[in-house]
Amino acid sequence: MSLSIARPISFYDTKKGLFSWIFSTDHKRIGLLYFYSIGIFFLAAVALGVLMRLELIAPGKTIMEAKTYNQVFTLHGVIMIFLFLIPSVPAVFGNFFLPIMIGTDDVAFPKINLMSWWMYVVGGLFALSTLVVGDGPADTGWTFYAPYSVRTGTNVTLAVLAAFILGFSSILTGLNFIVTIHRLRAPKMRWFQMPLFSWALYATAWIQVLATPIIGITLLMIVVERVFGLGLFDPSLGGDPILYQHLFWIYSHPAVYIMVLPAMGLISEMLPTFARRTIFGYKAIAFSSLAIAFIGYFVWGHHMFTSGMSGPSRVVFSILTFLVAVPSAIKVFNWVATLYKGSILIKTPLLFSLAFIFQFLIGGLTGLVIGALASDIHVHDTYFVVGHFHYVMFGGAGFAFFGALHYWFPKMFGRMYREKIAQTAFTFMFIGINLLYFPMFILGIMGMPRRYYDYLPEFTSLNVVSTIGSWILVTGIIIMVANLIRSARNGEKAPENPWGGTTLEWQTASPPPQHNFDTEPVISDTGPYDHS
Amino acid sequence: MKARVSVTHVKFINLRFLVLVLSSFTLIGFLPQNSFAEEKPAGLGIYEKLNDYLPAGLQFIDENYNQVDLKAVIDKPTVFALVYYECPGICSPLLEGVAEVITTAKLNLGTEYQVFTVSFDPDEKPKLAKDKKTNYARLVKNQDVEHGWRWFTGDSANISGLLNSFGFKVKKEGQEFIHPASLIVVSPDGKITRYLHGTYFLPFDLKMAVIEASEGRSGPTINKVLKYCFSYDPAGKKYVMNFTKISGSLIILLAVSLLAGLLIKNRNRNKNLINVK
Repeated sequence: MSLSIARPISFYDTKKGLFSWIFSTDHKRIGLLYFYSIGIFFLAAVALGVLMRLELIAPGKTIMEAKTYNQVFTLHGVIMIFLFLIPSVPAVFGNFFLPIMIGTDDVAFPKINLMSWWMYVVGGLFALSTLVVGDGPADTGWTFYAPYSVRTGTNVTLAVLAAFILGFSSILTGLNFIVTIHRLRAPKMRWFQMPLFSWALYATAWIQVLATPIIGITLLMIVVERVFGLGLFDPSLGGDPILYQHLFWIYSHPAVYIMVLPAMGLISEMLPTFARRTIFGYKAIAFSSLAIAFIGYFVWGHHMFTSGMSGPSRVVFSILTFLVAVPSAIKVFNWVATLYKGSILIKTPLLFSLAFIFQFLIGGLTGLVIGALASDIHVHDTYFVVGHFHYVMFGGAGFAFFGALHYWFPKMFGRMYREKIAQTAFTFMFIGINLLYFPMFILGIMGMPRRYYDYLPEFTSLNVVSTIGSWILVTGIIIMVANLIRSARNGEKAPENPWGGTTLEWQTASPPPQHNFDTEPVISDTGPYDHS
Repeated sequence: MKARVSVTHVKFINLRFLVLVLSSFTLIGFLPQNSFAEEKPAGLGIYEKLNDYLPAGLQFIDENYNQVDLKAVIDKPTVFALVYYECPGICSPLLEGVAEVITTAKLNLGTEYQVFTVSFDPDEKPKLAKDKKTNYARLVKNQDVEHGWRWFTGDSANISGLLNSFGFKVKKEGQEFIHPASLIVVSPDGKITRYLHGTYFLPFDLKMAVIEASEGRSGPTINKVLKYCFSYDPAGKKYVMNFTKISGSLIILLAVSLLAGLLIKNRNRNKNLINVK
């Protein structure tokens, strides 16, 4: 019984001007600030990726030198990981929707929230400045493996400092969410009445707070070693390169879950809405998020099976890696069970969610191939690994991000996107991504190593397929971006609850008012996904 | 009617405190860990036998002509200096180093630990040991040298037994010995716990080695903290701050206290809410 005759004043209308945005402490504005900055970085990194695929369309030098290629894949990785994937879901949708979904008016520390965005911007500028300063961007790969990262003449110090600053931004966001979820839930909302996206953010936030300081210290050690010549990782200075790998992966493996856990939370939001059914196994999904976050801490060694590790350690790390697949599989089973006997409404967010499940399955199962000791020796450092993590990261986390972007687009911008164009874009993207990354599994098993700008002639045809896939994918992305920009400007005005969602964000205006709710939201006693 | 959901912003973590904590992580990153490794000459030198036990029945005679079983008189952390008394080479600097570190280490000689100087020349006799002890005792200030620093001589069978159990390889050339320079620290139950190489010893290294040898059985609590925070770096041959361990512990400690704070204060908040109603 919505009686809103005049549209309520939204958070867009309360203040105007650039400063009202870049110094805003409103979580919705900060979420949008993140959205725009992350979007720009994402598109830049996509462009770099397309250039790499173009280089690989034929053996030998095609459009760039070997060193340029090394720099391009490093920058592509650094931007995609540190500037897109890690902040994407928590910083954009977490900031915008977490307070609304748990029925409060902001995060616990709004000023720290603003500071984290500023740190993100500074970190991003550091990363970009490597393009123009000195000897060009780092050519080490996003992992900055020592001792090469200590010795190369390229701008490793700047790139590493960028990652360091971005790490702080991530810690602050995580800290903010933990305190917000504990302290600011609407008085009637108990833990198990929270939407699953909040659970996913909560699990993620603990990883951000616990694991990110480790990479901060490690990256600083690289800077210290480069600048002062202290022997930490470089054996010629008396250091230990394996120590670097341990420290790096102790963060960077949990970081993979920083990227994918919130994405899983998004899927758990979208599926019940479009299946018109309550989520299957609410508690199992909530606890599996915590379990993934916890076990995820103890599997870092599987990145180092081939770099000098004792037999027993390898076995233990391999077993733990298999263990992490269990909570992931629990989620997948629950999602599929949620769809069963639902009255399914086929809209773009659902399509992206289904594609997520499909691609995450491929990415997850190939992850077991490289988590197993014997097969890892064979495919280590080949295109198989590249295929695996692009399936998980882009086919998984990326697709969930785009799905949620369509799902919450009406709420964020107050207008509807054009459904048909969105579905066309999705079709391009779905075909493109599978054409782009699936051949990499075959190439990897055939033995094509990663991180080279050149390859043997027998790998040509599959590389051509892959490159064509990248064009189709990019076409889809361009259509999607154009559609969303156009819709944000002159799309149809969005109602409060266009999809029939049951979580609290659908009980407020689109876009929400300054303090999120003009009337107190009703919290269902039967859980957040009661469609009965 | 407009009813805004009102929320009090939490001042749970002070911003300045946060900055302090984060910057301290930064500083920890600047501490050195390893330094250059040194190489040993082949055949001679020290083949460390850490965690091995000294055998019982090694008979030596101290400077007061008492014949003792070495293992029986090790009742506290014991630092061995293996030399020969007529040595023209590195033994004197080594013993001067020992005398200096006994003075500076801020440990009580004779109660917290003891030092045994053992000659590996079977021709040397207790009389010579006594003279040497008198000489070096003059270099030590404010410590109970008489009971805490004992000087031994022995026969060749016992000497080679001792040297073998320490992995300490010497070679006689003419009247002289070619030999390495090191202190060896043994725990009260006879376990070899540390080798401190060189002829000059940092008070801190000796203290850490004695703490390690005492295995937490004695000493003030600060020793346990020291033992947790510092570990021996075999390549650099000194004790270094184990900053990965410390920063890891700090991170976990902070996270646990954050969670504890949230859970405890959350309870208070709920109580308040009930009161308000």
